[in-house]
This record gives sequence, structure tokens and C-alpha cells, in this order.
Amino acid sequence: MKWGKSWILNARPDAPPIAVADTENNAVRIVAHEAHAAHAGIFNGQSLSDARALVPDLECHSRDRAAERKLLGSLAAWCERYTPLVALDGDDSLLMDVTGCTHLFGGEASFIADIETRLAAQGFTVRACLADTAGAAWAMARYGTERIIARDQHENAISPLPLAALRLDAALVKSLGRVGFKTIGCIAEVPRAPLTARFGAELLDRLDQASGRQDEIISPLMPVAELASEKRFADPIVHEDDIKRCIGLLAGNIIALLERRDLGVRTCELKLFRVDGEVQSLSVHASNPLRDAERIAALFHERLARLHTDLDAGFGFDIVRLNILQADPFNGGQHDLVERRDAGDGYDALIDRLGARLGRDRVLQFSFTDTHIPERRFALVPVCGRDGKTDPEQIVLPGPARTPTRPLVLLERPEPIDAIAQVPDSPPSRFRWRKVLYEIARSEGPERIACEWWRDGRASLSRDYFRVEDTQGYRFWLFRYGLYDRETARPDWYMHGLFS
Amino acid sequence: MAAIAHKRIADAAKNLAQSLSPGPGETACQPGASFGIPALDQHLNGGICTSALHEVRCSLARDFACAAGFALGLAAQFGKQGAKKFLWVIDPAASVDSGLPFPDGLNEHGIDPKRVIFVRPITLQDALWSADQAAKCCDLSAVVFQVKGNPKPFDMTATRRLMLRARESGVLVCVLRQSGAEEASAAATRWHVEIMPSRADADFEHGPGQARHAQTLERNRHGRTGQWTLVWNPESRAFEDGTSSLETTHRVHRIHASAHRPDRPVEMGQVVDLERAS
Repeated sequence: MKWGKSWILNARPDAPPIAVADTENNAVRIVAHEAHAAHAGIFNGQSLSDARALVPDLECHSRDRAAERKLLGSLAAWCERYTPLVALDGDDSLLMDVTGCTHLFGGEASFIADIETRLAAQGFTVRACLADTAGAAWAMARYGTERIIARDQHENAISPLPLAALRLDAALVKSLGRVGFKTIGCIAEVPRAPLTARFGAELLDRLDQASGRQDEIISPLMPVAELASEKRFADPIVHEDDIKRCIGLLAGNIIALLERRDLGVRTCELKLFRVDGEVQSLSVHASNPLRDAERIAALFHERLARLHTDLDAGFGFDIVRLNILQADPFNGGQHDLVERRDAGDGYDALIDRLGARLGRDRVLQFSFTDTHIPERRFALVPVCGRDGKTDPEQIVLPGPARTPTRPLVLLERPEPIDAIAQVPDSPPSRFRWRKVLYEIARSEGPERIACEWWRDGRASLSRDYFRVEDTQGYRFWLFRYGLYDRETARPDWYMHGLFS
Repeated sequence: MAAIAHKRIADAAKNLAQSLSPGPGETACQPGASFGIPALDQHLNGGICTSALHEVRCSLARDFACAAGFALGLAAQFGKQGAKKFLWVIDPAASVDSGLPFPDGLNEHGIDPKRVIFVRPITLQDALWSADQAAKCCDLSAVVFQVKGNPKPFDMTATRRLMLRARESGVLVCVLRQSGAEEASAAATRWHVEIMPSRADADFEHGPGQARHAQTLERNRHGRTGQWTLVWNPESRAFEDGTSSLETTHRVHRIHASAHRPDRPVEMGQVVDLERAS
């Protein structure tokens, strides 16, 4: 919204009320409106033309579901300050598993109050409810009046609620209503078998989920960290140095936990919760399990150095959390105590630091495929991309050769050249590449590399490779694309590589 | 009394000796590793310094492969013993049209492609930073920094820093300058590589034989420069003298391309070989 998040709090006295409309069953209806628009007679479900008749200057926007989802997603990320288990639920609600978290906020009442005040400060109208089961909390948040349902009281609490509170289809609720079932309590009292026979399994599944007889699995939005350490600040921190110091502190906290479990960090994530609801997350990877607070902090320093101006601190961060997303068994003493190491850093530290600063996809090594097509033979893959396995696949390469058969440098893609050659299969006598004419003095070939018909199709062409040397001594790897007269009438020539 | 005076004199002499010897930033290189080619070793005061910065440049983009071959040869022959990995840092401008090392070609060149790690940053600043970090790492065998032309950020200060890092860590750092001009740098040696017609192949007389290059030593800490014809032997992983079997005597003059800067004014009276009309 263009007035920012606080427009609800600071009302716009002179401006017309705002509403959001959407097309439902070929009619444009109001789906949301500003609170004070209700005084003018606007309500949800009203058709837009009626609303316009009541308030001619109504400011109406069409519904943007993608933006709503995005907003809910960012809200879910923000809610990770309360618990790591946050899941999206439908279009307008979030489910949080807060088992064991409420005491950190001084009990359930202040926990709920904290959520409500903070979200209200961001401009949201919230109904929060805490119950033993996700189903009961869902029902009470929408249809109930209480906000905190005491332990084992949820069945009693939801029994007077209407059946729609069970997350059922509108059609099912209607047909249940026709036979006299109005509340959840009614359903709970009658025998189960006839209900299932008549209304299907969903009804009792939902009832069991709400009452806790059946487990309901919520799938959290973010992966749950194996270990986490966080620091909360009464005054938000803004400066990069403060953040760095905080990272060092958190990493130090986590090391003790890692030692107890005999683990080392592989993937580690830093979450910075901004006061105004934004959450920034940075992650770093180590090529080998790491259990050194300084090195973990150093990786984040590189990551921050790369972000530099992109990290928008806004009004500051009030929570900094370090999540260990992946940890592997720590393989003990890597360094020899007796043998003194040279000054400087180790290989692993270098690769991790380069990866943290430049991105993991910028530090590469060869991986091989068993094919003869030169450009498919290899790929550059991240060094620490594969878990635990850092060595490329084993493929047997022939040894060194005094007169090489393969070029030292391969062009990214074959470049077309203008070549003059005798038909059908002689090497070119001269050719033009990148606007320069080369006279060929020596040549060897052809070496035929057939196409991979199982991949490229039957119509694809063979390549005849030639090693040629021009009068100055440049050595090139050229190929004729297609066999003369058998595959194509006018084969093209390509430059593919340069010999040293 | 005499003993104290004696000690003082000894101390003073020691201090003087310390102050006269070059500081840590400018120590002379350790006795270098020998090429095994007497004429060349003599110029280099016994051999090439392995824990230092060296520069290999070529004038034209198409010379890149032979310059890369020479740089890789240096790295393979004089890289740190016992260390496993090469690090190859690519300046983003350099990777546009020069292509990439081909693993089969590397293997035939005597370098295990599994040992080569490539770093391909997005900006030149990041590339410089990567090379700097890599030169600090003592677990590497050698670092090759591929750069195109003579970019401004890669100046005297940057090369000096690389030189110091290399000396501390004992890693051979090689700047591979593609289509670049001569430039003042802190490198221990600078080589200009040019292509030469290959040696005749005994097995196949019409085919290209073993590669030979004309290496010009343009800058040398020990003062003397010169030109040699070298042949890389991938089996013994060592350079050999290629002069003995020199077949073509004429040198080909070429007009050098310039990158990122206007071309130098052509010297008066320079002869450019044109292709003969007949």
C-alpha cells in the first residue's frame, strides 16, 4: 500500500475510504474495506455498484492474490521470532507450533499479547488464539471469544461453535444444517458410524483433528534448524560492527552445543529480524565440518562485506539468530600439533571464504561425463556443492602427450569460420576466423566424432575434427559439421579450440 | 671494560648488518628452482624464484592458449611441492572471448584437471580480492590470475601486494595477462610469449608437432633479459630448450592489439611484414 503500513493507525481524515474488490460468481464484490468505511454502510460481500452508490468517491482496488501471499509469507518469516515452526494456513492465517516457547515471553497471556501488539503496530488487525490443537485454535480464532484455551479444555470450548469452525466445505455445512446439526457439540454426541456413512470421512477427520484424537501435521515454511542461538536487543542494533560482534557471540554460544553433540557446522544461517517486520537471512557453507567460532564469524563477515550497502538495516534489528541448518560429524584433529604449519590459511578456509564472498557457484571445479562430444564432456560445478563428496567422479584420462590431440583451451561454443577446403573430406587450406585469414601449413585429421543420436535425434550431424597449424605456428582445432554429400550438401566449418 | 666495549662493537656490527640487509618487503628471492637450461638459469641467477609473483603476457587474443600453456607449465614445474590444488582466478573481462581450459587438453599438458579450481567472480574487484586471498593460502600449489589487458585497478600496488603474499605463503603466483601491454609491476619476472612453428612430428610428417614458443624475458629482478625458444615436455613436466632444432629462422612481426588503452604510437621506421602477393 502506498501509504505504508501505518495508514490504518493514522487515519486519512480527508481521503475517501478504501476497499478491495474481487470478482465472485461474475459479480464484483467488496472483499475487504477500511474499518471506518463500515459507518458509511459498506460491508464485505456487498456488490461494488451498491458500495459506489453509497459512497461515490470510494477508492477501490482489485484484489492481488500474489501480493497477499507474499505479505503472508513475510509475516510468517517475521513470526519465526516466536517459534521456528510457522506454517501458512490458507489465504489469511498462520499456524504456529509454540510448544515450549511461551515461557520465554513470560507465559501464554503475555505471549499472545506480544504478538497482537507487535502486529497491530505494523498495521495488521489480528486475532490470535492459543489452544491444544491446531484445529481448535483455528476455530476459536475465527468463531470464539476466548483467546487462550486452558489445557484439555479445548473440546468444551469449541463445542458451542458453529460447524463452519471445523474447516469444512460450505456445501457440507449446509447439508449438515439441513438435518439439524448446527454446532460442533451436536456432532460430537451422535454415533460416528452413521455420520461417516452419510457425510463422508472428512467430517469426523476434522472433528478428531480439532479434539486431538487425530494428529495434524503442520509443515513449517522454513527448515527447522538443528541448533539455534539468538540474541534479543531492547534497543535495536544498526551498525555493521555491532552485528559482527553479535555474530561472534552467537557462534561462541553454539560451539559448546556442537562439542557436546560431536558435530561440525556445514550450513549455517543468520537471521536478522528488523523492527518493522522485515527479516533478512544470510547463509554460509563450509566445505568441511567446522567447529571454530572465529571461522564461522569470518564467513559471515565476508558475506556481509559482499552485501555491504544492500543490507538495509532500516530502524535496526532487534533479534539476531544463528541457525545451524546442517551439521555433520566432526572429524577431530585436522591439524598436526607437532608439525608447525606455514604462515597463511588452509585450503578449506580459502574455499569457504571465496564461496561466502563471491557465491558458491563462483568457485568451481571440473566434473566429467562419459561422452565424446567435447563441450559435453565436462561441466564446471561448485566445489562444495555436493554433500561430503568433494572429489569429481572417477574417469580415466590418458596420460600426458608430447603432441597433444586435444586443445588446451576450448571456446565456450564453436565459432563459425569461412574455410576453403577440398571436398569431400580434406582439411581446409585456408580459413578466416574473427576477421583474420590463416594459411594452413600442416594439418592432421579427420578425427570423426559422431553425434549422439539418442540425445540429439537422428537428423543431427557428425563432426570431423582437424588439428591444423598455420604458417605462423598457431595450432587450432577445427571441425567440419556434417559429412559431405551423406549428411549435408554444404558442410559448415567451426573453430572449437586452441592448442598451446 | 674491554669485554664490554667488545660486546658493544659486536652489537653495533650486528645492528648495522640487520639494517643493511633488505627488509621483509624487499628481500631478495631465495635461490630459485632451475629450469635445467643453462643459458636461462644464468640469466635468472640460478633459477626462477618459486615463492614470488611472475607475469606471463601475450599480445594478441589468439596467443592466449600458448601463454596459458607457459603459465601452466611454470605452475606445474615450479609449483609448491606436496600441495595439490591449482587455483585459477578469471577476470570477468577475460572470460568473454578466450574460452576455458579444456580438461582433456590440461591432462595432455601434464596437469591433472581434477586439481584445478576455478574462481569466476563477477567484478574485477572481486577477482583481485580472490587472487589476493588465494596467494595467502599456503595449501595451494600455484595461483594463476588471468586478466585481460591492463585494467587500472590492477596496478603496481596490487602486484606488489600479490608479490608479498606469495613470498609469505611460498605459493607461485602467476599473472596471465591476455592481450596486454608492458606495464610496471612488482613481478619477479615478466615473460612475453609468442607462437612459433612447431617441431616436425616424427610419426606424422604433415601434422602439427610438438609446440614451441618464443619466450622473451622482458623483466627480470636480476637485471638481464633475453629471448629463448622453449618446449614444454608434459611427460617430465619440465621445459626444454627448443633452439637446437630450430627450423625456421625468420621471425614474424605483428601489429599488437591494445586493450583498454589507446595504442602506443608506432615507432618510426618499424617494419611490418605483409603477406607476399605472389
